[in-house]
Amino acid sequence: MKGTFSWKWALLVMSVAALVAVGCAKKQTVKSEGAQGGPGAASAPAPGAVSEAPVKEAPTAPVAAAPAEQPESAPAPAAAAAPGVAVTEEKPSLFDDVRFDFDKSAVKEDGRKTCQGVADYLKKHPGAQMLIEGHCDERGTSEYNMALGERRATAVMTYLVSLGVSKAGLSTVSFGKEKPLDPGHSEEAWAKNRRAHFVLK
Amino acid sequence: MKRSIGAAAGAFLLALSLFPSPAFPVLYIDINAPGGKRLPIAVADVAVGPGDPSLSRGIPKILSDDLALTDLFDLVPPTAHMETVTEAHFSGKPLSFPGWKMIGAEAVVIGKVEARGERLSIEMRLYDATQGTLLVGKRYTGAPTELRSIVHRFANEIVFTFTGVRGVFGTEIAFTARQGKSRGKELYIVGMDGQDLRKVTNNRSFNLFPRWSPDGQWVAYTSYRTGAPNVYLRNISTGAEKEVIRFGGSKAPGGFSPDGVWLYAGVSQAGNSDIYRVRVVGGAVEKVVEGWGLEVSPSPSPDGRRIAFVSDRGGSPQVYVKSLGAAGETRISNGTGYATSPSWSPAGDRIAYTARSGGRFVIATVAPDGSGTREVASAPDGDCEDPSFSPDGRSLVYTYRKRGYSALKIISSDGRRQRTLVSGLVDAGSPAWSPGR
Repeated sequence: MKGTFSWKWALLVMSVAALVAVGCAKKQTVKSEGAQGGPGAASAPAPGAVSEAPVKEAPTAPVAAAPAEQPESAPAPAAAAAPGVAVTEEKPSLFDDVRFDFDKSAVKEDGRKTCQGVADYLKKHPGAQMLIEGHCDERGTSEYNMALGERRATAVMTYLVSLGVSKAGLSTVSFGKEKPLDPGHSEEAWAKNRRAHFVLK
Repeated sequence: MKRSIGAAAGAFLLALSLFPSPAFPVLYIDINAPGGKRLPIAVADVAVGPGDPSLSRGIPKILSDDLALTDLFDLVPPTAHMETVTEAHFSGKPLSFPGWKMIGAEAVVIGKVEARGERLSIEMRLYDATQGTLLVGKRYTGAPTELRSIVHRFANEIVFTFTGVRGVFGTEIAFTARQGKSRGKELYIVGMDGQDLRKVTNNRSFNLFPRWSPDGQWVAYTSYRTGAPNVYLRNISTGAEKEVIRFGGSKAPGGFSPDGVWLYAGVSQAGNSDIYRVRVVGGAVEKVVEGWGLEVSPSPSPDGRRIAFVSDRGGSPQVYVKSLGAAGETRISNGTGYATSPSWSPAGDRIAYTARSGGRFVIATVAPDGSGTREVASAPDGDCEDPSFSPDGRSLVYTYRKRGYSALKIISSDGRRQRTLVSGLVDAGSPAWSPGR
């Protein structure tokens, strides 16, 4: 008894479902040109002159158009700065470069000799401002090399300070792998490009 | 048992009434089935009202080129088409679906376009040719210059209709390259289809590490234009800029928090790079990861709760994952040599990075817990570096480098399909894929 009841109920529901399905299908073909929009086509009012807009996309907003508002932006102050040509040029130096091993920032023996010469010079010229550039070879990703170049420049600065140079006359900048001395792609070129470079300001 | 049949039928009824008719695509493409069946689709010449007659072929060309970039469709060639689409097909006249089926199309795209002065109006419709039903239809208006972007949008609708995942047509890739003989690097942007390449900066210094804001309106990058590296935000539409990171020495933005509130970056102080995050508005700074090693390249997870980053604390650069606000950092790269530049997938399930393998750099992906490492892209004669996921997670853009030659390439996340996005620029690199459009 109980079983037959639910069976009948199931049949009823299924036939209703079938009817609705047919109804839907009909509706779909008939009304697809009419009120039935695509998903998301729903509510936006028809833009402009075109009145019949059954399949209109919701955004009346022009595609990718409106200049975005700029929340908190003062235009960059640096925009006035001189074109950075100078930044990209290799600056002449009174001193040799300090060279490094791959992925290392330890100042090696020959580098220490170079640093001694730099230290002697700076002690004789107390007002001098020395910029130490850190550079890397082209292997590996730019971001990591940028940090590595900074570490190399800082290692040289720290060594100069240990030789008695005043830290006040020293500064560092990293160019990572962006500014190779030798544009080649050999071991020899790479060895030249892993360097700290001294620039008197 | 019988009760459950009744319940199932009831649920079926409910489902039918909940969904308006066209939301049930009969055709469906399973994007997770490798080498699955492609859907034969015809893109008919569009009806041109007032406007340039060449749009009739031009619009289907843009759309077909988009669809061909996926491995989801087989395009029925226009020479096989038998029915000419006219204005009448948009006001009640049915398409001849048996004819479209006869030439093998299971889906048909039709469109009409009107250009009046500076106003372009395009209506596009996608039909299921086997059922004769409208699957999706959209009308777009915009300036004539926005034609490609409009067509890309409808291509995304088509992909969404058949796969449930929005396409990435119309998205862009920001990257850096040297201009001609200049030693400097400028920012460039190119469409994911390789079109519309343009230079964004022009200050002849080093402009590096572009990273998109989650709304796709801004790019954060490092510029040396004042002589020292600082991080700027640039509005891509207006060109307006704002300095966001000035403290420290070397600095490189890694990515934004998903809400766009924070910009994560690696910043060196006293030669030691750590991970910081900076409030885009207001400029408040927090240190997120520190250590005696170099910590760089933060990539936030899509839920904003974790970051992947690079540290050389173990002796060589490797990729780690950290939960924000919790102690502990897990190394997830298992290569021996060198692992850098992590990029978290949009679904959060994979992290792509650059690995060193057999003396070359390759692209690998790994689960955030460090399991399931797979090599995705490699080249026998060069290096593959700097991966960035597409917004749908189905592709990666990366740098290919071989001695003096460089190119940006796109590869499907399973490593099966690859194409060149940009070549011919000097030292192209650091690609970053924009968010979805």
